[in-house]
Amino acid sequence: MPLPTIVPTPALPTVVHLDADAFFVSCELALKPELRGTKCAVGGRERGIISSASYEARACGVYTPMPTQRALRICPDLIMLPHTSGLYSKVSRQMFDLCETLTPLVQRNSIDEGYLDLGPCGLTSSAEIEARVRALQRRLAVELQLPVSFGVATNKLISQIASKLRKPRGFVVVPPGTEEDFLAPLSIGKLPGIGAKTEAALAVRGVKVIADITARDESELKSLFGDGWREMLATARGQDDRAVHTDHDDAKSYSQQETFFEDVADFAEIERVAKRMVDELLPKVRADQKRVRTMTVKIRYPDFTQETHGRSLAAATDLEAPFYPLVAPLLREAWRKKRPLRLVSVRFSNVEDGGQQLEMFAELDEKRRRLAGVLDRLNSGKQNTTVVRHGHQL
Amino acid sequence: MKFKINRDHFANGLAQVLNVVGSKATMPILSNVLIEAEKDQISLTTTNLDLGIRCKIKAEVKETGSVTLPVKRLAGIVRELPNVDVTFDGSPNHQVKLTSGGSTFRIMGIGKEDFPPLPEFGDEKAYALEQSELATMLKSVAYAQSTDETRYILNGVYFSFKDGKLALVATDGRRLAMIAKEMEVPAASAGAIILPAKTVGELTRLLDKGAKVKINFNERRAAFQIGTDKDTSGLIDSVYLYSKVVEGNYPNYQQVIPKETHQRIKLERELFQQCVHRAALVCSEKANSVKIKLTSNLLEITAQSPDFGEAHESMAIGYSGPDLQVAFNPQFILDPLRALAKDEVFFEVKDEVSPGVFKTLESFVCVIMPVRLS
Repeated sequence: MPLPTIVPTPALPTVVHLDADAFFVSCELALKPELRGTKCAVGGRERGIISSASYEARACGVYTPMPTQRALRICPDLIMLPHTSGLYSKVSRQMFDLCETLTPLVQRNSIDEGYLDLGPCGLTSSAEIEARVRALQRRLAVELQLPVSFGVATNKLISQIASKLRKPRGFVVVPPGTEEDFLAPLSIGKLPGIGAKTEAALAVRGVKVIADITARDESELKSLFGDGWREMLATARGQDDRAVHTDHDDAKSYSQQETFFEDVADFAEIERVAKRMVDELLPKVRADQKRVRTMTVKIRYPDFTQETHGRSLAAATDLEAPFYPLVAPLLREAWRKKRPLRLVSVRFSNVEDGGQQLEMFAELDEKRRRLAGVLDRLNSGKQNTTVVRHGHQL
Repeated sequence: MKFKINRDHFANGLAQVLNVVGSKATMPILSNVLIEAEKDQISLTTTNLDLGIRCKIKAEVKETGSVTLPVKRLAGIVRELPNVDVTFDGSPNHQVKLTSGGSTFRIMGIGKEDFPPLPEFGDEKAYALEQSELATMLKSVAYAQSTDETRYILNGVYFSFKDGKLALVATDGRRLAMIAKEMEVPAASAGAIILPAKTVGELTRLLDKGAKVKINFNERRAAFQIGTDKDTSGLIDSVYLYSKVVEGNYPNYQQVIPKETHQRIKLERELFQQCVHRAALVCSEKANSVKIKLTSNLLEITAQSPDFGEAHESMAIGYSGPDLQVAFNPQFILDPLRALAKDEVFFEVKDEVSPGVFKTLESFVCVIMPVRLS
């Protein structure tokens, strides 16, 4: 029997990187269209930082993560929008859901960017791929009022650089075989792993654009990049064989932080805030059907020095009660200096799932779990409103 | 002080008291053994203030007296001495000369004045038990003690002399083992203590040296006099073990022992133990459970860990109840099976969130809480 002939599939630009433009601001503008075209930003007021700024605000020099006070100085007519709890993760979910109507291979990197692999879609030409991705971009704009930039290429490296090239609403296709040429004129800072410091150091040595890397010989590259020179050369040539991963990792920790409007010196007040964070984080742990074992408290002084302290329970739990007694001792251990605080944060780690060992003398825990279930249901009704609070929040 | 002693008897005596030493930093003398020579015996005593042991060994005493010496190093030396005849020669400056064959050791000691005396007992509650029986009872429950220091009440074995029986109970909050024996309990002597885990370990080690063990206790401390009539390596009289007890209220353990039996199966202990042990070989720290599945005349044990693989074991049993399955930490199943000696055990289960219960025809119960699989 003759062996089947293997027909090499021509390379197609099936790897797509999508990156939502000014994501938090775009989510807000979808709800407040009257603010379109204005200089606005999402972030903490007064003492917080800018999380996301509109392109109009960026033109004035506002960037992420600039302290809000400074942003308001350089752009006095900046409209500050507070964070809307729950909105961004909801829109993010909707965005990726739409992506999944195109291909099952969707990798969520963060709330506002990720990769798609159109390999399994049976498309046979670059034009077909481009048409599908443009249709997705239009759907995102129409259905979610979300501007998203796309890079379409043969691998993750190129598509990611391409999507960031013409923001906002960018759409850059890098045809197969032109990867090296595409990178050649770009500044080396576009490459992953090259930050501002490395970029400046390399510029001094005459390496400014990516073509400056591919033009060097082995010994020069060795002296520039040390042992990692081969990887750097491959990257500069646009080579990358990382696959698009669909399974997103489970949360490794749950955390929340708050920067105060004014520095706070009152221990009881800080303790109340930290307990509220416990109350807000554990429902998320329960919703994910996980348990957590370690609680870490972080405090930050006005001069930005900070301290953390953590402690672990004997067994992981999904209830608030075992953590309450840790709040005050951890705060005391972290907050040693006699100075007020600008920030406090609570983090739960050592996340466990799977089988839960039941306890014998734990009727109280079972009652608490039932109560917590009822509270979670009551509080999950409306966005951003807590129907029932714990006594220590009053 | 001066005495002649058999090397192996001396080594055996030191081995009895060796484990109980205090922290060197706070009270250096607690690292020492108190050696007292009188008539035709020497006594060896160690203590860490919470727990103390004293034993007596026969010796040819030429001159009475006492001294304390570092117990660990002394025991190490005595074991290695070349000749079975050992001469122990103390001097007023607490220096001891130890000779055996061609070996001579000079060891610096400390006077006995600073050595805390072991409290002796007066008219506390007192019982006498068979050593072999107490050893078996302790072995049946000791594995269930908690090692979690935050639950110090559970860091021991609960002894309850009440209602015409002695019950021994241990629990770590996830499993509970209890064994009871009938005995005469005079109303005035009824009572209970929590014997600390360390003491339980020492007591278990010391038992089986003779026929009887005498227990004295009050609400703060307990003492055991362990007869040595079966011992052939120099011990005489009895070994005296003194211990503080864990103070506090032991949880109401009776409420967690299920009153009703739902599905009861009879198991060949060793076979079941082997199957669970094999299945548990695929368990990992994150996936530490085995699933027990009962169907008509069949018991299946499965285990899996996502990053390694899975195991399946099956046993023919007599069972005609409804199909059910429940998961447990394999250690909780294996510990009682290993501690028991009977060929057959009964295992009772109800559903996936109710405890499993091991029973034997004696008054033994071991309740183990399941692992709820999401």
